[in-house]
Amino acid sequence: MVQLAQTKTPQETLQQWLRAVAIERDQNAFKKLFEHYVPLLRSYSLAREPGSSLLADELAQEVMIKVWNKAASYNAEKANTNTWIFTLARNSRIDHLRRNGRFATNIDSSDLFDNIVDTSPSPFQAAQTHTVQKNIREGLDQLPREQAEVLSKVYLQGRSHQQASDELSLPLGTVKSRVRLALKKMQLLMGDL
Amino acid sequence: MSINQHPSSEWLSAYSAGSLSLSQSLCVAAHMESCSVCQQTFARLNQLGGELMTELSPAIGSTLNFEQLMDSINQQESMAVQTIDTDMPRAKPRGSIPLCLRKFIPVDYDHLQWSRISPSIQSTQLCQDHGGSKVELLRIKPGGSAPTHTHLGDELTVILEGSFSDETGIYRAGDFLACDGNNTHTPVASKDRDCICLVVSEAPLQFTGWFTRLFNPLLRRGYA
Repeated sequence: MVQLAQTKTPQETLQQWLRAVAIERDQNAFKKLFEHYVPLLRSYSLAREPGSSLLADELAQEVMIKVWNKAASYNAEKANTNTWIFTLARNSRIDHLRRNGRFATNIDSSDLFDNIVDTSPSPFQAAQTHTVQKNIREGLDQLPREQAEVLSKVYLQGRSHQQASDELSLPLGTVKSRVRLALKKMQLLMGDL
Repeated sequence: MSINQHPSSEWLSAYSAGSLSLSQSLCVAAHMESCSVCQQTFARLNQLGGELMTELSPAIGSTLNFEQLMDSINQQESMAVQTIDTDMPRAKPRGSIPLCLRKFIPVDYDHLQWSRISPSIQSTQLCQDHGGSKVELLRIKPGGSAPTHTHLGDELTVILEGSFSDETGIYRAGDFLACDGNNTHTPVASKDRDCICLVVSEAPLQFTGWFTRLFNPLLRRGYA
């Protein structure tokens, strides 16, 4: 039951803790973030590699070290803490797979993601982040099971569309159209993409 | 305006999820560095990732211990005092080279090892990804054309310099094109300057002209 209480920590509180880490290097606040996020980071890792508890701890540790080191670069107007932590976890996962030879390439996550900056004017960003948040929450609640399943394959289990298609025994086109429908439902697309 | 000029939502979401191959991700990144519309969509898709992560039921039973974590952080910090911060803003390379390609194009396009694959086309391989997908630059002379081809797998193209046109429209610097086996096209570079493209192909191109079909075995070189 302790775990349940942790996931209900409001966003404002999480942001306060992160700010305390950034500005005061507050170890108590960092410990609270640690308690809140480590179980989620472990779940994220286990979604891709079920049963690999050690790997899950490794990823969680790596991400928490990044949280400590990069707290000052967190911008609450651009992203809530969950979004920020997700991007750190995604990048760590990519680099982990790369280090273990799963991606035989010298492209790393910093090449891919460090140069992308959101250039939209910041006064709009905070308001927009809230609207997007509302749309995602409402969308997720109403999402048909088969669309939620595909999103979970792509985002949490880290499967390519082809892998998702193989694992779910669905045509590739169906996987892609379910992704698209889900994103549309949550109003996440700009323009006519 | 063709919708081909931006990555579609399937490409963007797979990129945001980190489930796209790294070479394909490189194409999305090369486009996105200069596209504010896709940057905004990307920010929203990351937000979706964050929400999906918090939906997971927390996996307890970690062997991680906070005091040990702080110890390793402190150790790192004491060792890092004298080192240079690698997160420093990187110097922007000359011209149109996207920052995500900086590692592979250290000076400029002219300093790369180009090899001629036809009278009007040169290519150079930047790196390779697992599964044999190939990351290369193509340089097409002004007015030069590539033979009509189709694709066995996905082929992603981002135009870095110049422009070209094919049956579907004109593409300019920054534009992103995704082609698969359903597309057959004949790209022609504009007449005013070289056209330089980043091309990531999962499988060799298939030439469809009766004569150029003979060259197909030659093009398979370099694929795992």
